[in-house]
Amino acid sequence: MNLPNLKNYSALVIPVLLIYTFLLSFLNYEVPTALWVLDLSLVLVSFSIYVFQKSMVSYVLRRIRGAIVTIFIISSFVFLMLRVLPGGPFDQEKVLPPEVKANIEAKYNLDAPLHEQFFNYIVGLVQGDLGESYKYLGRDVSDIISESLPASLELGIYSLILAFIIGIPTGVIAASKHNTIIDNVAMFGAIGFVALPNFVVAAFLIVLFVYWIPIFPPGFWEGTSSYILPVIVLGTRPAASIARLTRSSVLDVISSDYIRTARSKGLSDWSILFKHVLKNSLIPVLTFSGPLVAGILSGAFVVEMIFAIPGIGKHFIQSVGNRDYPLILGLTLFYSVLLIVANLIVDLLYSYFDPRIKLK
Amino acid sequence: MKKVRIFYSILIIASLVFAIGCTKKRNKLDYGLNIKETLRVNLASEPPTLDWNKATDTTSNTIISNIMDGLTRYNLKDPNLSLKPALATSWKSTDRAKKWTFVLRKGVKWTDGVEFTAQHVIDSWERLLNPKTASGYAYFLYGIKNARTYNNGKLKDFSKVGVRVNEKGELVVDLEAPQSYFPMLLTHSSTFPIRKDLIKKYGDDNWAKPGSLVSLGAYFLKIWEHDKAIVIERNLSYYSKPAHIKNILAYMINESSTAISLFDAGRIDIQNSLPTTELSILKNRKEYQSVSLLSIYYYGFNTKKPPLNNLDVRKAISMSIDRDEVVKLAGGGETPLTSWIPLGMFGYEPKRGIKFNPKEARRLLAKAGFGPKKKFPKLVIGFNTNENHKRIAENIQAQIKRNLGINLELKNEEWKVYLNSLRLHKYDIYRIGWLADFPDPDNFYNLLASYSENNYTNWGNKKFDKLVEAGVSETDRDKRKSIYSQANEILTEKDIPVIPIMSSVKHSLVSERVINYPRNSMNVVLFKEVSLKE
Repeated sequence: MNLPNLKNYSALVIPVLLIYTFLLSFLNYEVPTALWVLDLSLVLVSFSIYVFQKSMVSYVLRRIRGAIVTIFIISSFVFLMLRVLPGGPFDQEKVLPPEVKANIEAKYNLDAPLHEQFFNYIVGLVQGDLGESYKYLGRDVSDIISESLPASLELGIYSLILAFIIGIPTGVIAASKHNTIIDNVAMFGAIGFVALPNFVVAAFLIVLFVYWIPIFPPGFWEGTSSYILPVIVLGTRPAASIARLTRSSVLDVISSDYIRTARSKGLSDWSILFKHVLKNSLIPVLTFSGPLVAGILSGAFVVEMIFAIPGIGKHFIQSVGNRDYPLILGLTLFYSVLLIVANLIVDLLYSYFDPRIKLK
Repeated sequence: MKKVRIFYSILIIASLVFAIGCTKKRNKLDYGLNIKETLRVNLASEPPTLDWNKATDTTSNTIISNIMDGLTRYNLKDPNLSLKPALATSWKSTDRAKKWTFVLRKGVKWTDGVEFTAQHVIDSWERLLNPKTASGYAYFLYGIKNARTYNNGKLKDFSKVGVRVNEKGELVVDLEAPQSYFPMLLTHSSTFPIRKDLIKKYGDDNWAKPGSLVSLGAYFLKIWEHDKAIVIERNLSYYSKPAHIKNILAYMINESSTAISLFDAGRIDIQNSLPTTELSILKNRKEYQSVSLLSIYYYGFNTKKPPLNNLDVRKAISMSIDRDEVVKLAGGGETPLTSWIPLGMFGYEPKRGIKFNPKEARRLLAKAGFGPKKKFPKLVIGFNTNENHKRIAENIQAQIKRNLGINLELKNEEWKVYLNSLRLHKYDIYRIGWLADFPDPDNFYNLLASYSENNYTNWGNKKFDKLVEAGVSETDRDKRKSIYSQANEILTEKDIPVIPIMSSVKHSLVSERVINYPRNSMNVVLFKEVSLKE
């Protein structure tokens, strides 16, 4: 049986399905769980086949081993840092009588010696138990994450798609029209958008599209029209960064020998640009994408706040203010895992874009 | 190759068809509720819990007080916030307010049809005081005989705690010491009756959710989507007059400017808490409403730290601050305060306290020995990081500089770090506030008793402590007034451990379609009296 190689025509199934899924969810239709499962398993299967084909299995295993050590160190460090931080989870304006405070601390085992608390935490972690929030009574940290993640994930994915759709072509066009007015305008815009903070763009768009031309709602996450403004706000900055990265690396590749050869063979400009140049110039963009994906998917605090989106971003900030130890630890671990996985995928994809790179 | 392609094609077609077959809209606008019979408010944040024995915050209380009732409730139409019957139809005290008897209402039903009994009240108080519940508001009932020892685990037998049902089915409460305001505590959600059978069935931390939460108030909990919204619906079997509006949809929009945009777009009907910097504009809108809260915004001295241990220095500093100027800066119609009880509460004495007098302040400072020859040491004013607190602190710093020639340093810290610093007495002068738990002067005077955990001033006065205790046990209103007046004098004229600045104001935008939106100084928002224009 022919394996679904990304170069193969049949591999187009995956992007088609993914686009279809995202489109459904963007248009605010119920996406059946079966479709999500199908998407996810297809991606996973094809990616593992890719890893096998490139014989990177032992590399992946080694990276996973390293990741476990990293996660252990991060969780221990954060655990201890939280205990050093002044102010406890149950400090409040109206000071509690000592017996009331003692009862609360006994309930959460905060009166136990530190090493015992740490041991319990690690044991829980190994069993996959992140503990219960101190602030939101009766809610497990894993529940809080899984309940607030979908909105952030949607926002993140739409914004990433927007960023790549705008960023890469802009970079390529700017590079191919190097030093022309098109290039200058594109790069001026890109630098502008990188420099503009999210909340300024958001405020501008809200004034424009909510007050002056009221076509979009100013907040909430409940349908296509409410998705558009936050996605634009969150997507423009990465789009600008991607455009600048793409442009500079396309410029590097464009002047290399094999492109000159291709040109001398009489290939058309566009075919050279999108078939030969682009793929080879995506390495820097790929490197940039790892942390970008992790950052955007784990919630964009400012954008979620401005548009009242019930995402995960605000928990990152508020849990610290509340000294909600289990939630802070859970979110830190979640973010670490996301970052590690994103970086691993990026590393593995290097050898797809540049076969000279071998990971062993 | 061909087979694979066919396989994939079938897969795609099948799934696409399957997906199109389920073309259901995911998110419905406003949960599909009919806007004509729905009031949309902004709760601003996720309530930490709806378990009324455990909730300690105002957000949770807003929902709880609409789905539940206590034995007593405030008469919100009375500016003095007198009490009126709720689940108790009448009550009386004997033994000089040391023993209270409550006659409970008959025929009240919970939303699952079970009849309300006195046992539900006792169950609730047992749970509130049980150390295992770890409730932050357990101390609300410390006045009851043996309640404190039960809460700290020394007493295991709850039957020894002073609450029981007598042969007439009335609730009898024995207190440790006289407490004239005891019935007022029963307006507080932590003391509301509870259904232990359901808590046992669903779990101590898990019962307070739609489906398992049973209540008996004007509304019941219908939907709770975390971090997004709560929907409560009118309880048609409510024992009193049913609510006017069918649904209350309470969104959780953290950012007030976003909420105002949503208000402007007609997506929410009520927004409380408005950004101070925009108040001057928002105040001119016809939807604007405000109400003074029973609260004190004040600065405290570390009275052990020289030269603040010198009464004249404290007096001079308090005298050099023009409260009117601070209030003008705050910009929201706050009431300037020089005395200890806020406007609208029994015992408010606007004439008391140190009045602004820069000349006299300079004289006092010179008397304390500070002048051209002896420089005033560099003291630090602390406040928690917040734009409004910063503006006020800067103003106070400037006023003291202008009127006394003293340079003070400002320092701010994140809220919980700041609270920790207060306990460690890290600041010479600090900002803090207090919002009334119940509208009685004791709630404010108790703060600065020498044994109070909320007193960060290092100041204590035996006579003041005695007055506080006398005030609690006195039932005669006039006598109480005179006791509290003496306490006020010690606090704001004689010893001056604190500088009262102002009482705060709650600002709201209320849509024109909303009629009778409650405004009261205790910030109690009951939706049942509110109605909507057709």
